[in-house]
Amino acid sequence: MEIIKNPNFNFIGRAKYFIALSIALIVASVAWIATGHLRYGVEFSGGTQLVLHFQNPPEIDQIRDAVTRISPGSVIQTYGDIKANKVLVRIGEEAPESDLDAPARAVRQALADTYGQNPILESSSEIVGPIVGAELRQKAILLTTLGLLFQLIYIAARFKGGVWGVGATIAAFHDVLIALGVLAFLNFEVTLNIIAALLTLVGYSVNDTFVIFDRARENLAHRRKDPMARILNDSLNQTLTRTIISNGTTFLTVLGLFLFGGEVLRGFGLAMVVGIVVGTYSTLFIAVPLVSWWYGRQERVGGPGVGPAGR
Amino acid sequence: MPPALQNPVTLWLLLTAALAGLVYAFMRPELRWKAIGYGSFLLACAVAIWPPYEREGVPGKIHLGLDLRGGIHLVLQVVVEDALNATVDDAVTTARDQATRKGIQYGAIQRVSPTSFSVEGTEPARVKDMRDVLRDFFGRSWEVREAGEGKFTVEMNDLYQRQLKDQTVQEAIRTLERRVNALGVAEPVIAAQGSRGDQILVQLPGVTDIEQAKRIIKTTAQLSLRLVENAAASQETLLQGVGGKVPDNMELDSGPSDTPGQPTYYLLRKEAMITGRDLKNARVGVDESNRPQINFSLNATATDKFARETGRNIGRQLAIVLDGTVYSAPVIQAKLGSDNRITGHFSTQEADELSKILKAGALPATLKYLQELTVGASLGRDSIRDGVRASIAAMAFITIFMLIYYRLAGLNAIVALAGNMLIVLAAMAYTSATLTLPGVAGIILTVGVGVDTNVLVFERIREELRNGKTVRAAVQNGFERVWITILDTHATALIAAAFLFQFGTGPIKGFAVTLVIGLVSNIFASYFVSKFIFEWVLGKRHVESLSI
Repeated sequence: MEIIKNPNFNFIGRAKYFIALSIALIVASVAWIATGHLRYGVEFSGGTQLVLHFQNPPEIDQIRDAVTRISPGSVIQTYGDIKANKVLVRIGEEAPESDLDAPARAVRQALADTYGQNPILESSSEIVGPIVGAELRQKAILLTTLGLLFQLIYIAARFKGGVWGVGATIAAFHDVLIALGVLAFLNFEVTLNIIAALLTLVGYSVNDTFVIFDRARENLAHRRKDPMARILNDSLNQTLTRTIISNGTTFLTVLGLFLFGGEVLRGFGLAMVVGIVVGTYSTLFIAVPLVSWWYGRQERVGGPGVGPAGR
Repeated sequence: MPPALQNPVTLWLLLTAALAGLVYAFMRPELRWKAIGYGSFLLACAVAIWPPYEREGVPGKIHLGLDLRGGIHLVLQVVVEDALNATVDDAVTTARDQATRKGIQYGAIQRVSPTSFSVEGTEPARVKDMRDVLRDFFGRSWEVREAGEGKFTVEMNDLYQRQLKDQTVQEAIRTLERRVNALGVAEPVIAAQGSRGDQILVQLPGVTDIEQAKRIIKTTAQLSLRLVENAAASQETLLQGVGGKVPDNMELDSGPSDTPGQPTYYLLRKEAMITGRDLKNARVGVDESNRPQINFSLNATATDKFARETGRNIGRQLAIVLDGTVYSAPVIQAKLGSDNRITGHFSTQEADELSKILKAGALPATLKYLQELTVGASLGRDSIRDGVRASIAAMAFITIFMLIYYRLAGLNAIVALAGNMLIVLAAMAYTSATLTLPGVAGIILTVGVGVDTNVLVFERIREELRNGKTVRAAVQNGFERVWITILDTHATALIAAAFLFQFGTGPIKGFAVTLVIGLVSNIFASYFVSKFIFEWVLGKRHVESLSI
């Protein structure tokens, strides 16, 4: 069985439309995030999140009344399977550095006082002081950036040409931004799991691009006379089935995470699902055309035969 | 299972021998060594993870993280300033003693910051002597600065500050370890973390009484026995006796009296006769009227000192102070020995906890909570169920797809996937790495990426076949040509995973662990094992077509 027989699409020739589309998507994502639509999970924003396991099916409205009376701005929602009798409470106020679990205690006490007919069997909590939250935010940005930078260096070193690394890195950055934009748009919280998904995504985005670059390098070795644009476009077509199948299977696995992974893994799964789709697109329409555009300029300036590594 | 087979090494050797027999009987000679090598490695992996989870009291080989089995994860900050303050206070005492001994008159010697103290109003004729005293005693780890007119500032140098800080954190960790052991927690983690090195991570998997655990961890437990200068029902009365101000060598503390809600105030000597460090043991007991009390015994040096000091102060009150509260202040009736007790107003549970904490020793500084994560057991069970469900779904998706698309060669990919998962789990069991819920996601992802290796190879083989190569040559070329690509793609993915490690311990580390192990084992399972299967199936005969 084969999806496409001998594909021969002109990816590079149409790249400018796709680059325009990508720029529009990135601008939209950045604008959406910059206008404060990105919600942070407790580990980044600091604060308190409780998962309360009630004895009987909980009445969300009564719980909301009891909790918001002492802590306005709290968010209360069903957690996980409705039959599990679990409720998530994100407490509105900050967790004070001097007495971290005071708001959590107060909320549990308030529920015991006014909603005692349905006792809490088990209380799980995640409480993060403001200092840790801020530290982690900085760390997440720093690590994602460094992760990208090191991959850029690795590719540049392997191909003896910075532009290959830059092309792959721009594509990876593009994927991360758009995935974040989609998460913000769908009102998902950015948690540590999401950051892990984004960093992994960086790895896969680059990985995907790399397969095509490798093929181009192989083709270059015996087709030195051809213009770079044609070699790159052929390489894209030669590996197209692999790109679709590989990303398709990865897509299926992360879809499994998104659909069946429960509350904790749902965000992770979504980030990966979006990331894989955007990553495949960016490999085909952004990373490779960027490299091609660069060599096209070189060829006009410096004559034919300018290639990477081969020299 | 017979006892001999319960030894994993024996079991593995036996299985390998059986495998070798099968291989010898059914496999072509040139493939035998590879088959036995690969096979015995996979068998070792299988033995390493058996049994995977706890059954009939035998602990499972896969360690579940606390997000899966429930427990507490705390990040505490050591308030290092406490330890610095205490060191400067000691230095102030030394400076005063030395000045007094040498007969040097001075205005005041006092702590001015957590790292320094000042000397003021030294008598002009003895400024040189004071300078010598300070240089002699604080020359090495401190800096003595002179401001003229008999004024000095003495400050710890940076190296000493750092040393003290490290020491404090290390001592806090050791104390916490002893306390956690008293709680009886299996597999606790207590380690320094954070960029400034003043944070401590405490993980207590499986703990159910979260409030008790937190109390035991957080209590500072600074015990001291001090002589009482005066006691009264109000601060004012006490202060009147000493001219309205607490003298330099004393401090004011309070504690419960026999009338509830009416504390007694005590003016105590600053210098402690005995501190928590002098304790050899502590345990719960009961007093004459059956109320809980804490019995403690002193070590040999402290016993001598205690006997001497109490003998000299018969008839005076001795206060037992724990974390700034005077628990009791009995009158010294006679010279006291090694075994003593603390009576006071506590419940049996309080007395029990306190004795455990005292035995474990005091914390060198106060601890502040920065982060607290508690996972209830039922939430953990939910997560395990979700993780298993997601894994099964992902596996099913891939299996069905690969079989439809690559037919028989798809089977090869599935064998490689199963091998890959086996290796990841075995590596985790062998290194005692913990499996967290994100870790499960990492394994699933590894499986997804593992397929990529197979796809790369299979597509290349198809391409070679289209170009008219024979089956054997196509397979050969397919594997050879993609080797570099596979190395490169795995290297870039490893770089990304390495950065995930930097997020410290929590569940994310579990994700990074499985990802890294998975990437490495994938090269073995999806490339070498897969290649072997092709070689084996193709055999020596002439093959016309390939189910791919």
